This record gives sequence, C-alpha cells and structure tokens, in this order.
Amino acid sequence: MNSLPELGIRPVLEARGLTMRFGSFCALDSADFSLYSGRALALVGESGSGKSTCAKLLTHVLTASEGHIFHAGRDVTNLTGRKAVLEYRSAVQMVFQDPFAALNPAHNVEHHLTRPLALHRPDLSAAQRRDAVADLLRAVDLDPAITLRKYPHEMSGGQRQRVNLARALAVNPSVVIADEPTSMLDVSIRLSVLDTFRDLKRERGIAMLYITHDIATARYVAEETAVIFRGRIVERGPTAQVIDSPRHPYTRLLLAAVPEVGSPFGEGNSLAPLAAQVRESCEGPGDLREVTPGHWVRFAA
Amino acid sequence: MTELILSVRDLCVDYATPNGLTRAVKNVSFDISAGEVLGLAGESGSGKSTVAFAIARLHRPPAFITGGSIHLAGTDVLALNDRELRAWRWRDLSVVLQSAMNALNPVLRVSAQFADMFKAHGISGKADIRTRTAELLLMVGIKPERMDDYPHQFSGGMRQRIVIAMALALRPKLVVMDEPTTALDVVVQRELLEEVAALRHKLGFAVLFITHDLALMSQFCDRVGVMLRGQLIELSTPSAMIADPQQDYTRRLWASIPPLHPKPGETLVRMKETPQ
Repeated sequence: MNSLPELGIRPVLEARGLTMRFGSFCALDSADFSLYSGRALALVGESGSGKSTCAKLLTHVLTASEGHIFHAGRDVTNLTGRKAVLEYRSAVQMVFQDPFAALNPAHNVEHHLTRPLALHRPDLSAAQRRDAVADLLRAVDLDPAITLRKYPHEMSGGQRQRVNLARALAVNPSVVIADEPTSMLDVSIRLSVLDTFRDLKRERGIAMLYITHDIATARYVAEETAVIFRGRIVERGPTAQVIDSPRHPYTRLLLAAVPEVGSPFGEGNSLAPLAAQVRESCEGPGDLREVTPGHWVRFAA
Repeated sequence: MTELILSVRDLCVDYATPNGLTRAVKNVSFDISAGEVLGLAGESGSGKSTVAFAIARLHRPPAFITGGSIHLAGTDVLALNDRELRAWRWRDLSVVLQSAMNALNPVLRVSAQFADMFKAHGISGKADIRTRTAELLLMVGIKPERMDDYPHQFSGGMRQRIVIAMALALRPKLVVMDEPTTALDVVVQRELLEEVAALRHKLGFAVLFITHDLALMSQFCDRVGVMLRGQLIELSTPSAMIADPQQDYTRRLWASIPPLHPKPGETLVRMKETPQ
C-alpha cells in the first residue's frame, strides 16, 4: 500500500518535531504526524500523556517550545497579530470533552449556532443564517424544529455534544480537533455520536484529530491511530493494524485493559504486574522504525 | 455467601418538580449477600445513582423516598435519625463517588484527613490512628511514608486509592461505589478494580457498583442489574445475561458496546438517546 505522501496527497495540518516543555518537564517530545482531508487520526494515551497539550498547541492556546506546525503547507508555528490567529482558529476548530461546560446555560441552541455564523460569515442575510443553522442541526442528526429553542439543560449529553459539533462546523473548518468527545457520554450512545463525526468528516472533507483514552472507539472513527505514552508517540499506523497487531508493550497494555464482555477479573489475568513492568521499561527516548508499510514503532535507544 | 447483608424492597424515590412529583425509582427490590459485588447498570437518568444515594441516605431534596424499605445487616436504614445515621455511615456502609478523589481537602495532609474520620467515630489515640492509616494505605498499594503528603502530590488514580482506603477504614459491611473509575484511564481503572476485587475477598465486604459501562461490570460483578426509566428490569449473573438476555432493551444495551475486535458480520446496535 502506498502512503498518502507517495500518492502526492498533501496533509492539511502537519506537526514536525513538535515539542512542549513546562520548566524541566517535557509534556510532548518531538511529535510528528499529519492530518489529511476526509480522514481522522486517533491520538490515544492515558491522562498526562500529552494528548491535550497536543490539542492546545494545534489550536494556538500554547506556543510550542520547538518544532513546527504547517497548515495547508504554510508554517503557522508562530502566528503574529490577532487577525492571523483568528483566521487560523476558524480553520482549526475544537470540540471539547465536557458537553455540559462547553455550552452557555443561559442561551438556547439557536444562539449558539447563529453567533459563529454572524461573526465569521457576515455576508449571510438573516434568512440565509436561519437556513444555515437548520442545515447544521440536520447535519449532526438533530431535528431543527425540536432542538432550535432548547436550552442546554433540556438536552442529554449526546445531544449537547452534537450541538458542539454543529457549532464547530458553522465556520467551515478544514480541521476539527475532538478532545475526548464521547468520554463523558454513556457507553451505549458513543457509537451513534461517533458515527456522526465519521460521516461528517468524510462528507465535508474535514481533517480530524480524535483524542481519546478509549482505544476501542478509534476503529469507528479513525483510519490511523497514534499511541502516545509520557509525551512520546510510541506506535503509529493504520488503526486496524495497531489494534489487531500491536507491537509496542504500552499499546499491548492499553489494549489488555479495555473492558471486555465476558472475561471476569481474577482468573489468572491480573494486569497490575504487566502495568508496573511496562511503565518502567517504556521510559526514555528511542527511534520510531517502520515495521510494516505505514506502521511505526518506537524502539528503546 | 448466602448470608443476606442488604435487602431493598419496593423502593420508590420521587423528585419534586414544578409540574408535580416525578418517580425516579419505581418499586425496586434486590438483595446483596455478604461479600457479593452487585452491579447496577443503566443509561444517564435511569435511576441507578438515585438508588445508590437512597441506600446511603445521601439523597437530598428535591428527592424523597416515598415508599419501600431498606435493611442493612439488621438495621432499618430508613428509620435512622440524624445522630444514628452519622454513626452508621462509614461503620456499616461507606461510599466512593466518581470524583471522590477531588473530595480530599487540598490544604490538609492525607494523614490529617484520616485522623478526622477516625476521631468522628471515636478512635482518638494519635499513635493508633497513624498505625491504622499506615496499614490502610499499604493495603491499597500506597507507601505509608507518604501519609503526610498533600493530595496534589498524588496522581488521580492514587487519590482514588486513598479514598477507597478511607472507605474501608472501619470495616464496613457494604461499600457503595458510584462510577468510581469513570474519571480514570483504562489501565489505572483496571489496576484499581483488581485491587478492590482482591480486598473484598480478603476483608469480606460487599459492593454495590454503579456504572454505565456494561463490559466493565461484566468483568467485576457477581450479579448485574439493569435499570431503565426507574425500574430494575433484569437481574442475573453476567454470563446468564450475556448468553440469554430476557429483555429486548438489555440485549440492545449489550450490543451497543463498541467491541475492540468486532467479529465479521456482527451488527452493532446504535442506541437512540432517551431525551431528558
């Protein structure tokens, strides 16, 4: 299989050697990855692994200590001026983990969707804006007639997260960064929400970064998966390969810890010893090597 | 395992709303045996946490218990007055909540928070308290020499271990755990629950485990109950429920879990949300 660069397809957003230090602590160490139109990359790791730092760098909430970010081929690592930052942020949109905190409780859904349109697409007339809001709601599988006048507290977590996605889409972004978008939702409705993310990404050619600690859901959204541990990407490749033939010890640990129906604890399957061993042995730098086409694994230096 | 420890009969909990009473828990009955782990699963709003709060008498207005009975180890829980309730909680029943790790006081050393709890239950010897605290921390895999650290010096998983150690301090008969690992990542969640599973065999406490994660529940619990709109619609062992669910809702709930390794041709169910 040819990789996308070999086919001449250029990434929409690209991170090269992206590094973030807080004092002496390195939260993200030389991360390389690319996001392509209509495709998603899942960034999987535990709390404190550097996932959210990555999101903050890509959205210019933080400025990288080292490395570069390219958007549509242009170096956007250091943006100067409010106008440039605003332009970049409307192209790179974010959906946050907490569907409750991300919406203003004092405003209804119509307000949440009309505002970004009024700000970023002033050319639209009032009537066009109303149509655009209804289209956005339909795109995220919500019924405008029912949803438009609702306040956040009148909706379930999944519905609120759909509104958050609609709001991100309102400005026609080329990139959507979704930071744990389903981790606060019931397990039973995660799939239907993730379906919406997956379909919209394809239909609108959005490049998506799907940040999660739930590797089981990566398969349902993302073509590619990168596993991050203590600030370093330790394995990266086509999602099915990473999940079905994991090579790095940390990826294996992560997969073994995913709750699985019908395998009760305590029948010789204790994970704690393995977890302790992996945490110790996977510290430290190393080289990413390509083990099969497109599948990269970090080997200790 | 046959000695009954908890008996819940026809429990009804109502919420007072501007439009009158809304019944959140409808005639729920179940038992828990000594040392047993019973799971209650259900979606947001199904009433599972309301049941847990009612059993611990932690429900607050606008929630009211409007019917039924709760007995824990011979005590009529609903008949306890405030003073009796304070002594009973923690001694007979303790509670670990989802964000319990954030319930630790950030400006007090961990040892001081253990001391508070012991003193509230009549244990006041300084040396005794420190010995007991050390034993409890060791039991959940935290070095006793760290007892004088502050909460922020521990990771989320370690703080949750500290809270569990505190919940086990007075050897309760039942520990109510409401989404105790939902805020943690999967590896830490697994380590913590393995620890709890081992401890309950060692110490013999029973657990009422509330979660929305059916897969996790099937791994950790002896029996599982499924709640839907305030009712307990099915209750059996995980293996029986997986093999032969009695309700269509239960079957769909199991089939909605995104599997790590989907089997070819397997149909996953996309659950519709129950609007709030």
